[in-house]
Amino acid sequence: MTDGPADHLLFADNVVKTYPDGAVHALNGVTLGVRPAQYVAITGPSGCGKSTLLNMLGVLDRPDGGEVYFRGAPLSQRRDLDHFRAREIGFVFQSFYLIPTLTARENVQVPMFEGPKRTPRARAQKADELLELVGMAKRANHRPTKLSVGERQRVALARALANDPQLLLADEPTGNLDSENANKVLDLFTQLQKDRNLALVVVTHSDEVAQRANRVVKMRDGKIVSDSAAARGAQQ
Amino acid sequence: MYFFAFILKNLLRRPIRTALTVLGLAVAVGSMVALLGVADNVQRSVESAFDTRRVDLIVMQKNKPLGLDSDFGEFFTDEARKLPEVERLSEGVVSNATAKHNEGVMFLVQGWKPDNFGFEDMEVLNGRLLKAGDTYKVMIGKTLASNLNRKVGDTITFTADPDHPYEVIAVFKSRVVFEDGGAIVSFPDGQALTGKKVTGFSIRVKREGGDGAAQIDAVKAKIAALRDPKDKSVQLDAQSPETYVESVSQLKLIKAVSWIVSVIAFVIGVITMVNTMAMSVMERTHEIGILRAVGWPRRRVMSMILGEAVLLALAAALVGAVVAAGGLYALTRSPKVNGFIEPGLSPWVVALGTAITVLIGVAGGAYPAYRAARLLPTEALRHD
Repeated sequence: MTDGPADHLLFADNVVKTYPDGAVHALNGVTLGVRPAQYVAITGPSGCGKSTLLNMLGVLDRPDGGEVYFRGAPLSQRRDLDHFRAREIGFVFQSFYLIPTLTARENVQVPMFEGPKRTPRARAQKADELLELVGMAKRANHRPTKLSVGERQRVALARALANDPQLLLADEPTGNLDSENANKVLDLFTQLQKDRNLALVVVTHSDEVAQRANRVVKMRDGKIVSDSAAARGAQQ
Repeated sequence: MYFFAFILKNLLRRPIRTALTVLGLAVAVGSMVALLGVADNVQRSVESAFDTRRVDLIVMQKNKPLGLDSDFGEFFTDEARKLPEVERLSEGVVSNATAKHNEGVMFLVQGWKPDNFGFEDMEVLNGRLLKAGDTYKVMIGKTLASNLNRKVGDTITFTADPDHPYEVIAVFKSRVVFEDGGAIVSFPDGQALTGKKVTGFSIRVKREGGDGAAQIDAVKAKIAALRDPKDKSVQLDAQSPETYVESVSQLKLIKAVSWIVSVIAFVIGVITMVNTMAMSVMERTHEIGILRAVGWPRRRVMSMILGEAVLLALAAALVGAVVAAGGLYALTRSPKVNGFIEPGLSPWVVALGTAITVLIGVAGGAYPAYRAARLLPTEALRHD
């Protein structure tokens, strides 16, 4: 197993993030590589830096030290990070973050304004396909307030897939769901990861979520304290 | 979904705030458009009348900016008539007037000779035109007839001459709003009522195959050089109808007030817009974070906020034009002012009002849009 950025879809190299007061390191030299089609769960206690790491991986925030690479290229040198985020990464959040005035179909189209060029009709058609994929076709014309929390998360998942990204980042995706809905969403994750060869990075407190991943990374105090892939490598 | 639809939904989701912002802006814009409309209507109607009457020059006393203050002797009209370039000349006297028992209605009374240009395009709705030798006879415009509730055969007693009732011999329609709302008497009666000799006169020059420009310039120079031997201090000024209309003090005043109101409306509009859009951005910080997180660049977020501001402004321009048209119509129902104000808005005034309102939208939306675009996705998503 090689460890360089070129061998990974996404590679965080010795990433440091310091809180504004400068006293506390949210991330203290984290190195993590994610390969194509890999399902990685990042776990750890609250405040350990897992969401901060996810923000760095998704270029929602910039590291104070170190580098994040995508397909071997350093992201700090890219000027079109919005464009990169729109086309290469799908996000799923704990609180779904759907736009309340838009229907499910319209919410799914929001990232498409920055995706590959499509006509409004093609955008709507693509949204319908994605809603069908997550089992929400019949609820396409409903606004988020008319959907259950499980349904909202499935719409958010469809939105994350709007521009056919190769990487899906999810922050506590089942944190607001009951076990039945959580299982449905996790089943979708597993299915998508297999069908679309998606790399999936999920930040979670849930053991159930972590068990579904093929790699579990544990964090504490801004550092990775264990990595099941490394453990397997060591055993091999 | 179109991007435009997305912007529209953002406005429609807050119907009360959108409606209040549009209404607030519309009132400001409406008053601006109404005043611009008043000035424009007067200017256009007077210019159009001069054009129809083929008047080349308007002559008034120099340095009498109010126009109504002009007063000079008939020496000037006699001399001007003798000029070889002059084809025809119409003199008149004009003053403000009120009628007994209707003192609240102020109007213009003019004294005209029977060959006045003004009779050429006047439509007599009822009765007959003034003729030579008529005394204590008056023709009234249709607006004044309505305001004073008079018809042909009735009498009007001017407060300036309470001893002589004037018989209404015609109700007419003119293309000049002041004439519609005013009265015309014979030239001698006009001199008696106003206490003036001549207020002004208009000239039609001989064309002699060309556009008459040389003749017009010659007449202007000759009139400027005329001096009454009885009072050498009086000097006249001959102007083209366009220059004359531009220089009429009352019109200049209306225009100045219009532009002052426009500036005030602009400032109020920008403040209203900044307030509305800044509140909207603050309330939607979280949502803007989502948009940024899913890859919307700063320029698209700016376009969204600016688009909302411009849409609000366009709606306000539309409602403002309706408010202005309604306001003008309401004013023209009032006998106190309907002799001076014409209803209706020209497309030019509506376009100008719309352009200023869109500018309000852009100016008022710029700062909130800039603030929204500067939000970092992570900070915006953390915002409660």
